[in-house]
Amino acid sequence: MTEPAFEPRIIGFLCNWCSYAGADKAGAAQVPYPPHVHFVRVMCTGRIDPHFVLQAFAQGADGVVILACHPGDCHYKEGNLRALQRHRLLLRLLGQLGIGEERCRFDYVSAAEGDKLAAVVGDLVKMIRAAGPLPVRPEQEIGRD
Amino acid sequence: MRIGVYFCRCGGIISEKIREEAVRAGLAAVAADLHVAAFDFLCSEEGKGFLAQDLREHGVERVVIGACSPREHESTFRRVLTGAGLNPFLLQMANVREQIAWVTDGEGEATAKAVRYLRAAVRRVSLHQPLLKKEIAVCPEVLVIGGGPAGLKAALTIAQAGRKAIVVEKSPIIGGLPVRYEELFPTLECGPCMLEPVLDEVLHGEAAANIELLTLAEVTGLKGFYGNFTATIRRRPRYVDGTACIGCLQCAEACPASAANPFNYGLSERKAISVPFDGALPNVPFIEPGLCLHLSGEECRACREACPLEGTIRLDEGEELLELQAGAVVVATGAGLYDSRAIPGLGHGILPGVHTAAEFERLLAANGPTGGELAIGAGEGPGTVAIVHCVGSLDPAHREYCSGICCQVAFKFNQLIRKKVPGTRIVHLFREIVVAGKEDSFLYHQARQDEDTVFCRYPEIGALGIRLEDGRMVIEIRHQGGTETIAADLVVLCPAVVPAEGSGELASLLETPLDRWGFFEEMHGRVDPVQSKVKGIYLAGSCQGPMDIRQAMGQGLAAAGAILSRLVPGRRLELPPITAVVAADRCSGCGVCQGLCPFKAMTFDPERRVAAVSEVLCQGCGTCVAACPAGAITGNHFTDAAITAEIEALLS
Repeated sequence: MTEPAFEPRIIGFLCNWCSYAGADKAGAAQVPYPPHVHFVRVMCTGRIDPHFVLQAFAQGADGVVILACHPGDCHYKEGNLRALQRHRLLLRLLGQLGIGEERCRFDYVSAAEGDKLAAVVGDLVKMIRAAGPLPVRPEQEIGRD
Repeated sequence: MRIGVYFCRCGGIISEKIREEAVRAGLAAVAADLHVAAFDFLCSEEGKGFLAQDLREHGVERVVIGACSPREHESTFRRVLTGAGLNPFLLQMANVREQIAWVTDGEGEATAKAVRYLRAAVRRVSLHQPLLKKEIAVCPEVLVIGGGPAGLKAALTIAQAGRKAIVVEKSPIIGGLPVRYEELFPTLECGPCMLEPVLDEVLHGEAAANIELLTLAEVTGLKGFYGNFTATIRRRPRYVDGTACIGCLQCAEACPASAANPFNYGLSERKAISVPFDGALPNVPFIEPGLCLHLSGEECRACREACPLEGTIRLDEGEELLELQAGAVVVATGAGLYDSRAIPGLGHGILPGVHTAAEFERLLAANGPTGGELAIGAGEGPGTVAIVHCVGSLDPAHREYCSGICCQVAFKFNQLIRKKVPGTRIVHLFREIVVAGKEDSFLYHQARQDEDTVFCRYPEIGALGIRLEDGRMVIEIRHQGGTETIAADLVVLCPAVVPAEGSGELASLLETPLDRWGFFEEMHGRVDPVQSKVKGIYLAGSCQGPMDIRQAMGQGLAAAGAILSRLVPGRRLELPPITAVVAADRCSGCGVCQGLCPFKAMTFDPERRVAAVSEVLCQGCGTCVAACPAGAITGNHFTDAAITAEIEALLS
């Protein structure tokens, strides 16, 4: 009898205008990706409070992906760049918590890039499958009180 | 709280992959008071009818719809909620089609994921707040910046609809660049003849009363927001009363001071009081203060003495600062030409026989510096004109893009030179030739068939060198295999179309972004081509990028149309309620949000020492919400509570 394979759980934060539309595009083109990838829609990746990412890890996610508009394409001018800055800072904190930076990915996906979306999440899942479940879970109180 | 979950089968597209019964079972224990129903096509008229009736019948208070992407039908279902007497924001869609049915291998996995999505939506919707759209009164007047083809077309269209347009034009005349061109591509239509009826309509037509034309004027400030802008405008004095002047120009004859005329690119002189060129509209002279002896402190009053209408010339006129209201703004400030002096080998500005296309237009024009007489060669038989295409275009060192109009201008010149000085040899030096469009290849074919016209491709602009030799221009073309030389009497450079001077300053005072080339950037170049990135500020014409007159007119018309359809007198402006909200009691006044807001929607209330959001300017991106160190800002509809509940439910 073999152990059931570890299937990582992923939370993806997608902005309404580019990457969420890119996910719709992946859907319309029927480009498959792993079933435990869940997308949360925000209007802009600038809305993503680092706390949400910590919350996702605390609640059982093995990986998080933030997909923003390409630089220059943000519907709100520069929210994607704010998200990028916050992601860079967050990686430091995650490191201190023992969460490797490979588990929290940032990438750009346009409304046309359905294939890229599927490839990015597919790659993330593959890598985390190899890395195994998150070794530690951050306390749920981390972040905002 | 009764939550209704509606599962759309999408005619089998969803239900083939996601098992309806398993979904029902999976939802059973999610909330105490759950009502679950399914329908084949919820977005159909029948489906919407079913939904509205079912919501009422079952007393549903919050709604989850498991169907396609919210980008497709969220607004459809929000309207159904409104119709059924529910607040439209008490809805959450679970995208089970695009994100599950179409991309998941295996029914079991798809169904399980759908249950997770629907549970998360149920959790989320239970935390939604009813939101109300607010409405504000608007000012229906429109401010148009720039009096060229695009701006005038926009102003005229707005005026013809019975609405007021204020045109602010920097120069003393209207019509933009094309009024300086005697003939226009592609049909060699006379430029002034084509434009004058439009200009005349603006100045004296039936709708003219609705157009306030401010020449010699510039916008110096813009406050407020869509529906309620306040603009400050600086108007330089013309020193001539436009309403009294009859345009006889006796003043210009009498004026003793003159200098190079910038409207003819310095190829002729103008008097301190004069019109830029014959036929320029409005036909009212103006005084160039730097040239005028009187304004420089001397005793001269020659113009005032020569004027047959007393009081028309007003040497004591001063600058005016105006403040006016507008609901929308159209930016139509046009474009300029790439400075060919930045390519030193071409000798522009140094060699007497090298002119830009704009200068050459004036040399061809009957109201230009030579009266339209073209002198080519030293009198012994016809000479040679070299027309250099792609000057500064298609070149990463200058401008990477093709301006798309210069080839047409070059082939127009071909025809005009041919007409004015028959027998002239014409050489087209080009990198690429671009003449797309149903009418646009005509002039090109004519040039190709002409026996005195030759074409010569050059590798790049740096490979061209022009020097003066025995009174003629000698063009050296350094090909890979060797050097070719062409002697010409006249060289015409066709430079890339670039942003107009001052675009950067205007953009920063309007707070509208420019693209990487410095042109005004559209909200979306294809689907929203006249809306800038700032609500209520529209774009028209070559301030957006290289454009011909037809396109510029089209953009002007489109901008007017967009404004007329959205900014309607008496109709109040609806403000989408998905904005940020500051809880003043938690705000420490640190100002982090103010620096972050890309729309200047966050202001500081100095009295209470807290941040405040302008509901009109806020676009609801939520960047400030994520940044607030005190958690004092709520993102309506995307609250921390709703998002974290969704995350938690997706992972449970």
